[in-house]
Formats: sequence, C-alpha cells, structure tokens
Amino acid sequence: MELSERKAAVVHKLHVTNKHRFIGFALIGLAVYILSNTVDEWKAFQGATIAVYVVAIASIILLTGYSGQISLGHGALLAVGAYTAALTQIYLQLPVWICFVAAVLVTSLFGALLGSAAARLSGPYLAGTTLALAVGLPSIANQFSFLGGEQGISFDAGWPPLSFGEAFTQYKWFFWITSLAALIMLWWIQNLLRSRYGRMWRAVKTNEVAAELAGIRVARSKVLAFTVSAGIAGMAGALLAATINNVSPSAFPLALSFSLATGAVLSGVNTLGGVMIGAVALVAIPEIASLVADRWSGSESVASLLPDFIVSALLILTVFLAPKGPIEKLRSRHVK
Amino acid sequence: MFELINTLLIGITAGSIYSLMAISIVLVWRSTRVVNFAAGGLALASSFVGAAILEKTGSFWIALPIAMVAGAAFSAFIEYFFLRPLLKRSGDQGAEIFLPIIATLGLLGIIKTILNYIYGDRIGALPPPLSDKGFVVSGESIALSPMRLLILGIVLLLMVSLTVIFQRTNLGLSLRAASFAPEISRLAGIRVDFIRTIGWAISGAAGATAGILQTTNGSGSVSPESFEFSLLLVFGFVAAVIGGIESLVGAVLGGLTLGIILAIILMYVGGSLVFIAAFLILILVLLLRPHGIIGTKGGRRA
Repeated sequence: MELSERKAAVVHKLHVTNKHRFIGFALIGLAVYILSNTVDEWKAFQGATIAVYVVAIASIILLTGYSGQISLGHGALLAVGAYTAALTQIYLQLPVWICFVAAVLVTSLFGALLGSAAARLSGPYLAGTTLALAVGLPSIANQFSFLGGEQGISFDAGWPPLSFGEAFTQYKWFFWITSLAALIMLWWIQNLLRSRYGRMWRAVKTNEVAAELAGIRVARSKVLAFTVSAGIAGMAGALLAATINNVSPSAFPLALSFSLATGAVLSGVNTLGGVMIGAVALVAIPEIASLVADRWSGSESVASLLPDFIVSALLILTVFLAPKGPIEKLRSRHVK
Repeated sequence: MFELINTLLIGITAGSIYSLMAISIVLVWRSTRVVNFAAGGLALASSFVGAAILEKTGSFWIALPIAMVAGAAFSAFIEYFFLRPLLKRSGDQGAEIFLPIIATLGLLGIIKTILNYIYGDRIGALPPPLSDKGFVVSGESIALSPMRLLILGIVLLLMVSLTVIFQRTNLGLSLRAASFAPEISRLAGIRVDFIRTIGWAISGAAGATAGILQTTNGSGSVSPESFEFSLLLVFGFVAAVIGGIESLVGAVLGGLTLGIILAIILMYVGGSLVFIAAFLILILVLLLRPHGIIGTKGGRRA
C-alpha cells in the first residue's frame, strides 16, 4: 500500500505532459511486444481479448463518465461493428483494414441515430432503451438469411505476413493487431477528452443548464458523444470478430453488455486512466477463479459458478469502496 | 378473427404478468430512485421458495402467499443491507444512477450464482393449479383457460389492493410523500427510511407473484438460468419505462401494450423479431413522450 501511495504521489506531483504520455504508451507497446513473444497461443488469445475489452470499455467511459449518458447496450454496438466488418469483407471483398474503417463509420452512423433519440432521454429511460437494444439487435440475425442466423458469418483478419517468419502464430498476430488498434484508439480518445470536446461533455454532464448558458449546445454535444462512443465500440466489435473469426448473435448476448458495464465500473467510470484494470479483470477473474476452484474444491459446480460470483461480488465492493474507481481512490487518498 | 382474439388473449395474459414485474420496478424507483435489476433475481428466488412450499404442502394457494412474503423479505433485506448504505454513502453527485444500477446488477449475479449453487441442475416445479385447457366456445377451444383467468384475477386483485393501499391508507400516503419529497416528509414525522424499506418489500411481493405466474403460465418449472425470467426482467423493465417509470397505472398500461403487440408480432411476423420489436415500441413511445405514457414532465430545467 505504501508503495502505491508513493506512486500516486509521484503521479500527482508531476505535471504529466503529452511527451510523458507518449512514453507511457510506447512502454505499454513494448510490453505487449515482449509479452507476445513469450506467451503461448491461449495467452495470446486472452491478450487480444483484453485489448478488445480495453477499446470497448473506453467507449463506455467516454459516454458515461465524460458525457454522463448511461448505456447498458454497448454489446449491441459491438455487434453492429462486427457485422459491418464481416459483411464488408464477404460482399465487397475489400481489404481487412477497410473493413475496420467501415465498421467504425457505420457504427458511428448508427450511434448518431440512436444518440439523437437518446439525447432527449435521461436516467432510467436511457437505461431501458439501451437495454432493449442490447436484447433485441443481435436477434435480428436470425430473421435475415444474409446475416447467417445462429451460426453467424465468418470474418477473417488474415494470416500474419510471411515476412514475419514461419514461427509467427495466428493468435500472436491477432494480439498484435488488437493491441496496436487499442493503443491508437486510446491515444486518440485521451487527446479527444482533453480537447474542447472533452471539456464540453464534462460541462454538460456536471450541469446541463449552466453548460447551456455558457453557449454549449447540449443536445448536439450529447449526440456527438454517442456517435464517437459508438464508433469506438464498432471498432471493438470488428476486433472481437477478428479474434474469434466469426460473427454470430451468441457472441453478443446481454451478458456482454453487462460485462462491459462491469468492466467500466471496475476501471473507474470517470477516468480513462484505469481502463486496463477493468479489461484485465474481465479476462483474468474467470481464469483465477477456475484455478482456485480446481485447487480447493473438487466440485464442478463451484468451478463453474465461482467466476460469476467473484465478478458480482467485486462489482458490489467497488461500488461501495471505490465508487469513482481504483485510480481516483488512490489519488484522493493522497490528497487527503 | 378467431386467431386474432386468441392472440389478444395470450398477449393480455403475458402483458399482465409484465405489468406486475413493471410495478415491482416502479415501486423501487419511486421509493429510492434505483433501477432495480435485482428484481429479476428476487422473483427467481421467491419462485424457488414457492416451488419448495408447493412440493411440501401440495397446495398452490399456500405456496403463492408464502412466496410473496419471502419475496418481500428478500427485497427488504437487500434494501436494508445494500442499497441504503450505498445511497447514504454516494450522496447525490449529479445524476449518478449508474452506480446503483451496477450494484443491483451485481446483486442479480450473486443471487443467480447462489441459486445455481443450491439448485444446480434441479428445477422447481410450479405446474398450473387449474386446468390450462382453453374454454370451448361454439365448438372451438379459445386461448382463455381457467388458469389464464386465474392469472388475470390475481393480477387484477393485486392492482386493486395496491391502488387502495396507495390512495386510501396512511401507509400509502407516507409512501407517496416519502418518494415525492423525502426531506419534507422527514420533517412531517414520516420515518422515510422505514417507509422506503416497506416500498421495497411491496415491490418484492409483486415481483414474487410475477415470477410464479410467469412460471405457471409458461414452462411450469423454474431453473436458475431460466430464459423466462430474463424475459420477465427485460420486458418488465421495458414496460415500466414505457409507462413512465413513476406511475403504477403507467406500468400496467406499458405491460399490456407490450404484451399485446409482442403477441401479435409473435403470431403474424416472426419469433426472432420480438426482441427488436420491444426496442422499437419503446423508442417510438419515448420519441413521442420522452417521459413515458403517464410520465410527468420532469421539473429539472431551471
């Protein structure tokens, strides 16, 4: 605890400039590079999943923590991105990177539409709308045959380039792609949040009337936040589709939307800085829980239930002990 | 024509059950401004209690009231030990309804895993106590059965009693006052915290009834991963929002609207569009009336 306190103190004293941030990002990139060379295929897959969650959780933090709008339905936005990417590849046969761009654009457009409706709603109304979307949207795939029904459609992010050598495995490649995408997205988001748009969103979140009097167009700012958040979520969806090679309704259940909200709360929904914490927790907890269950209990039911139980319990603990998230918790402790 | 009437009957029955769930959610929202996702878990837990009592006694008429009491107790427990300290602690920082939502999601997860641990693959049987064969009208069997009639009767009875409680009793007056203006109510001598717990308890009882009726109207058995209960929670919440989340009448209207339209879509359009239809109904209603069918214009603006 003492060490982390001192760290918090250091973080607080330093005036963190963009240069420092860039170094931080480069270090994370380096860590990913080193990790990707040491871990096995399964760990590389989990690494890729973490990167996908980072992007998805960042999109929720932007929307909820900065613009003050609730979404319980980001899983649906991920689905839009994933299906867009896959359909672009199947029907237009465009290169993979264009599929990603298309996913971002189409999901942003979808988010703009949804956001125009959402900007008029608040609190429970918005929660209900996004929840209904999360339940409803993926099931459309069962109605229209070009969406592939329950089996879904495939999305192929391609093999690693041959120049990387024979030993370069498929999942290591996915790990690279998703991590690179996550780093670029995070870099862009943190700059955006520090720009006048970020300030505008926070102003609207803190006090709508005051923001309006200060000349901010409240509705427009909310729609913009929804659009940007959707675009990021669309990217996460396309990345998710790439790592699992497939897009199907079962990949985007209501549980995914809830997990993402969970991840956002574990990260601390008001700061982007903790985004890694939630993403790692979502992937690591099931792993750790099953290890624990194997070790101390022979019962199969415990092994299958423990992950959910721990995530739920952690969620309640976080809400009670560190409602603003672990990072803010450390900071405020230092300031006191 | 016959088919349409049957579809309507099915829709009204399903809708009245969603209404009960919606009422459960509305009551909690009114008393503490919390969107209670744990309501689904509470309904599930109380249904298991109901199934256990039914197994012991063999009587639905004993099982239902006991399940309602159990639901009320669970719900009050959760309010007292989780939500009350949480709301005290967080204060009112802007419009932070996100954290309570997340807390109730966590509670839902915990309730589900505990039920899963206790019951595992076993299911609780809640068969219909009355015949679910439809009445025969002019040689054809219609979708209205004694069981469906019973469901409608129970829902109606509960709604009438809730209305009486809210409009005609001191307790109802306190409940309304405590949700309308907590501080002033406190000054007027109402024990707001206690009244809130009562609100949660009534909500738990309504949720328990919804759970049991949903089971008897559906598969007749309840399991921890029951799809029927996910439906109940989601549609109950959607119905509450359609109705304006503040109003009991709104919850009933929302539930019936949702039930009937979904039954028609299920019958004439296709099963896989039911969920997206719920979303479309919701967004249509909210575009026309951003605070629901019976919602009041929030006095938020300065």
